[in-house]
Amino acid sequence: MSEAVAAPRPAVRRDTTAAVVPVARQAWLLAKNDLRQELRDLELALTAAFFTLTVLMMFALAFAALPAADQTLAVPGMLWLAVAFIGALTLTRIFDREREADTLRAVLTWPVDRVAIYFGKLGVTLLVLAGCGAMLMPALALLFPAAGVFLQRPLDAAMLLVLGCVAYAAVGTLFAAGLATASGKNVLLSVILYPLTSPALIFALVATRALLEDHPQFHTYLGQLAALDVVLVVIASWLFEPVLLGSSATPPPRRPRR
Amino acid sequence: MAAIVPLRLQATSRRFGRLAVLRGIELSVEGGEIVALLGANGCGKTTLLSIAAGLLPVSDGTCTWGEPPQHGLDRDARRQLAYVAHSTQIYGRLTARENLQLVASLRGDDGEVAAVDALLVRVGLGEAATRIAGTFSRGMQQRLAIARALLGQPALVLLDEPFTALDHAGRALLGRVLLDERARGAAILLSSHDLEAVAEVADRALLLGEGRIIDDVVRARGEPGEAFAVRIRGLGGAIAPSKSTSLRDAASHGAAQTRRAADV
Repeated sequence: MSEAVAAPRPAVRRDTTAAVVPVARQAWLLAKNDLRQELRDLELALTAAFFTLTVLMMFALAFAALPAADQTLAVPGMLWLAVAFIGALTLTRIFDREREADTLRAVLTWPVDRVAIYFGKLGVTLLVLAGCGAMLMPALALLFPAAGVFLQRPLDAAMLLVLGCVAYAAVGTLFAAGLATASGKNVLLSVILYPLTSPALIFALVATRALLEDHPQFHTYLGQLAALDVVLVVIASWLFEPVLLGSSATPPPRRPRR
Repeated sequence: MAAIVPLRLQATSRRFGRLAVLRGIELSVEGGEIVALLGANGCGKTTLLSIAAGLLPVSDGTCTWGEPPQHGLDRDARRQLAYVAHSTQIYGRLTARENLQLVASLRGDDGEVAAVDALLVRVGLGEAATRIAGTFSRGMQQRLAIARALLGQPALVLLDEPFTALDHAGRALLGRVLLDERARGAAILLSSHDLEAVAEVADRALLLGEGRIIDDVVRARGEPGEAFAVRIRGLGGAIAPSKSTSLRDAASHGAAQTRRAADV
């Protein structure tokens, strides 16, 4: 009996665990580094928070008089439109910091798994989006009676928000990183980001309407959104290194002649 | 963990689109050796260092690290690599100590606050350890970048114009640091326009022009501070007669050769 308990685990599992732990630790260290910098000036947090408040105010002024049935159709759009813009803002700012001081190229020469960079940035982006979502959902519920379900079923609402944000951020982080090392222009991020994240946003929008309508298939939609997240995160983390290094293979910036 | 020294570039070329930045570079850097890359702006020094740092792939030829040669740098191999870029790549919102601690943590050297502080003292930033790095002068940021590169005693140190922005004391300090690292057995490849500083520390100097190595000079007796006395290779790879020369003369001679070749 005791021999059976003491039997060694399969080597593959040990290798996987040994590989995942440093990646998770490095991702956490990189995310913590970003958060520490953010706490010094709150630049991103304040921008995202005020943007969220402005959007809410405009939605309230524009759509408060809508009949309840129309609100059910409009609220999902308001939610995910705000998430899309806040996400682009966040991704741009997070990678702008790296671009300003060329720090991403420094990280590439350190003993850091490339995929840890991806998960670190993804984590920070999600944190910002979740924070803004935590403001958006209750506010929408208070402003629009049709969105009251966000407060009545907070767990479902939170899961929907997180799963939708993961889908958006998984794709966005990949391309934002590529453009950051390529001295790319932010406009390119928007050009690439919105078309590529549209399917995920539309999926999240449909699931949100299902929540508002108390659709019996809501949890099925949620499961499908989770599956989409897994697929997007796996593909994006797999593509991250070639995107990052491929784009870093541009000529170093020319310096003026002395 | 396999060693990443010596660094070898063989028939290495790098193109960006139709622009050939490096052409047929042959270079080897051994442990305990300081090799300097000299040349005008745009001659390919930074590109060469980026290839050596594993940041750029080669277009033709090879770049290998260690013996037996590895054709890439994985995470473990990068533990032995240090790269100081021309821009300091410092996190301006973090303190000097936090900048170093981040790298130490990512390397898995947690808890070595004393080692981090000792490095800051070594580069003359002991008093500024808790200051936000963004408030540093360019020279202080350069010192911090150099301190960060020394974390974990790397086997291969790559420095892109490391003397930039350093004051007289900083240049002397960096010179001492480089000689100490050389004595420890590190392989050091640096680029610079500062011939006097390079002459103090380098064992070999390679003059780049138009993407090629047009001159390769070594010291007569291999001691830092002595005159560069043996010209190994002139333009086009021909063996030129040995001739005593200063580094400045070698650089001027190489530049003149490049101009003549361009005229032809």
